[in-house]
Amino acid sequence: MITLTFAQRENIGFQYVLDTLRPSSPYGSERVRELRPFLPEERPELERQLSNIQRVLEGEAACQSALNQLLRVFMTVKHIRPTVEKCLETSLNEIELFEVKCFLLRCHEMLPLFQQVQSALQWEGIGLEDTVQALDLLDPERNRVASFFISDNSSPLLRSLRREKRELEEQIRRLPAGEEREEVQARRVRVASEEELEEMRIRRELSAALRPHVPAMLYNMEMIGEIDLTVEKARLARRYGGVMPTFTEGPLEMTDMVNPKIADLLRQQGAAFTPVSIALDRGATVITGANMGGKSVALKTIALNVLLVHCGFFPFARSASSPLFHQIHIISEDLESVDRGLSSFGGEIVRFNQVVRQLNEGFAFLLLDEFARGTNPDEGAAIVQAVTQYLDRQNAITVLATHYDNVVRWGRAHYQVIGLKELDLEALKLEIAHLSGDAGVSLISKHMNYGLYRVEGKQDCPRDALNICRLLGTDQEIVNIIENLLTEME
Amino acid sequence: MKTTISALIRPYRSVSIIGMCKNAGKTTVLNQLIRELNGNGQTLALTSIGRDGEDKDLVTGTQKPGIYVARGTLIATASDLILRHCDVTREILATTGISTPMGDVVLLRARSDGSIQLAGPSATSQLARLREDFFRAGADLVLIDGALSRKTLCSRSVTEATVLCTGASYDKNIDTVIEDTAYHCQILTLPETGDGALRRAAEGLEDPRSTVLLAPQGPWVLPAGLPVADALRKEEGRGARAVFFGGALTDHLLKPLIMSSEPLDGVEFVVRDSSKILLKRDNYEKILRRGVALRVLDSVNLVAVTINPFSAYGFHFSKDELRDRMEARIGLPVINVREDAR
Repeated sequence: MITLTFAQRENIGFQYVLDTLRPSSPYGSERVRELRPFLPEERPELERQLSNIQRVLEGEAACQSALNQLLRVFMTVKHIRPTVEKCLETSLNEIELFEVKCFLLRCHEMLPLFQQVQSALQWEGIGLEDTVQALDLLDPERNRVASFFISDNSSPLLRSLRREKRELEEQIRRLPAGEEREEVQARRVRVASEEELEEMRIRRELSAALRPHVPAMLYNMEMIGEIDLTVEKARLARRYGGVMPTFTEGPLEMTDMVNPKIADLLRQQGAAFTPVSIALDRGATVITGANMGGKSVALKTIALNVLLVHCGFFPFARSASSPLFHQIHIISEDLESVDRGLSSFGGEIVRFNQVVRQLNEGFAFLLLDEFARGTNPDEGAAIVQAVTQYLDRQNAITVLATHYDNVVRWGRAHYQVIGLKELDLEALKLEIAHLSGDAGVSLISKHMNYGLYRVEGKQDCPRDALNICRLLGTDQEIVNIIENLLTEME
Repeated sequence: MKTTISALIRPYRSVSIIGMCKNAGKTTVLNQLIRELNGNGQTLALTSIGRDGEDKDLVTGTQKPGIYVARGTLIATASDLILRHCDVTREILATTGISTPMGDVVLLRARSDGSIQLAGPSATSQLARLREDFFRAGADLVLIDGALSRKTLCSRSVTEATVLCTGASYDKNIDTVIEDTAYHCQILTLPETGDGALRRAAEGLEDPRSTVLLAPQGPWVLPAGLPVADALRKEEGRGARAVFFGGALTDHLLKPLIMSSEPLDGVEFVVRDSSKILLKRDNYEKILRRGVALRVLDSVNLVAVTINPFSAYGFHFSKDELRDRMEARIGLPVINVREDAR
């Protein structure tokens, strides 16, 4: 089971993506609320949903006007599933029948629009049932007006009761206050209650006649929700550059992934998101980099896009191939400790132990962000090395972001945040020299390249921390001592 | 010729009816209006604030008249009441999504004469929306049955005109009935402020319950907990020409001001609407004597007062005495509904 907490979904930017969805119908909103990741055995259904998104992107232009009109009708639909389900068991009251009639009227409007859209898009497994027979039950005169009234023509008894009631009402209008008027009023009340009984009988009949149409109505509600969500997913893919993923039995590879939450935040600050590319195999992959962000962003972006694929969205990437996992786990200090009253390190370990116990339950995707960061560096390094070594042998793809040394030799692949690697440091240093205080820090983070590159062969340990010290004008004597120490360590 | 309520409200398309107390005769007025307007070709629309129109008064247990409408009338009321307590033949026009303890408010058209019960929305914005729904459905006149102590909802943002119902059920002492009714009329008809700067400051408030001083240097939103009397003595507040009270104007709030030596002559005290004035009559009069001008943002257009000389508690006043003295005291048309209703 893939169960990420709300905090985790929020943290990786998944909730942000959901919040940008604007379904037109309450059935679409319901689908969004009930979104859950697919499991490997549900792959055919997942592929069907994804291919329907693709069909929108490819064919939308050919049916734009019909599709927009269809969505406009969706906006006027109310959520009445409980009422329709109630009809299976008992008879509906007049307000419920009104709601059902309105829904059927909308279905009647939708049908030709849907047919136009469907002939352009050829969606798989999506349809709308023609419910006009049900509509005719509630609108026998075919006025197609959105109001509900039990017509006098419904039964001869109803007609005669209403005529009698009308006559008494005319008398009441003419009579002065007094005994005679009161007596007519009492007669009117009796006729009105007989009318009520007859209407009740007719409503029972109508409900029974509607009952065989309930499955078609429920089906249409499902389909309105599905069409709505599919179109929204396509819009999202267009907005942030999504791609149809392919499925593999093992390796996971995505190029130029984007995380909309972080990208939008950066855009507001006048910066741009550096796309993240990564290729992962069964086993442990280590991401290293200096402590100025980058690693976490990469990790969140990977987690987000893998989760999106599992939930039937296009991942935001230039290309994407992924296996389907039985479980996805994110272990990150800032998500563990707070509400458990444990130290942040303790919280992390408790969570890690839970995950390890579940590892035999199926192919897993694990993301560990700066594991054991909260403990002392020597032990922390040893713990992360051991965990990497262990996880590399499991039935899982693991990605660890760490700044501890000597971890990478236990993983099967190593990625590094590009960081300041490709910059002209001397020019940047001159630029910063003219700035004061914190301005230097924000200039560095602006120039920091958060993209990843794959480190092949011998570890090429970047000295970004030292470079940051230099750029920010740390005393040259101190910089010299740091350089000497590092040389000794190597 | 005797003045009728329908004649008094003729210029308006939306009218609210509010009562000084239970059994003040609101429903009688409503029925009287319905009868007077019946047959003139107008489409009436009815709703209420909260619930009304029950057979029995829930508070006093006395018999109450039901609302009897003519066919063609538009009605907005709670679904439970439609299903159980309305004997008109019904055409359901819309569900509004406005919820009440008795189900969502539903819009319907009466296809026959008959009795109904009303339970409408309880928020101003919902009432205003419903009024527009009524107009779209073809209403010529919207009548809103106001509930006890919900005077906020009959301001001009909801209805163009208001009728106040009072009577013997309010108090055994005829003087008290007249004086208290006059006091309420006075508060209900407080004029709107003409101070544009204050209105802008009041409408732009982050916390709508804040108090604002309009000092010579500009509007000053008082920090929570700072009494107005103290603020007026401070540098920033000295010489303020107006004070806006975002919350209710209470005796407790006003007492320090009444006792203070600050010059208040010509200063405007402004509240959102008259329902926010919760003052005992003597404090109200004291503050006026200090030269304060009380104003509102949103005023009520009170067009008539109706009286019911019969009390639900078993006694009655002389109808002529009540009407004549009331009319002389408040300077508005006064109508005895029981007499006019025969």
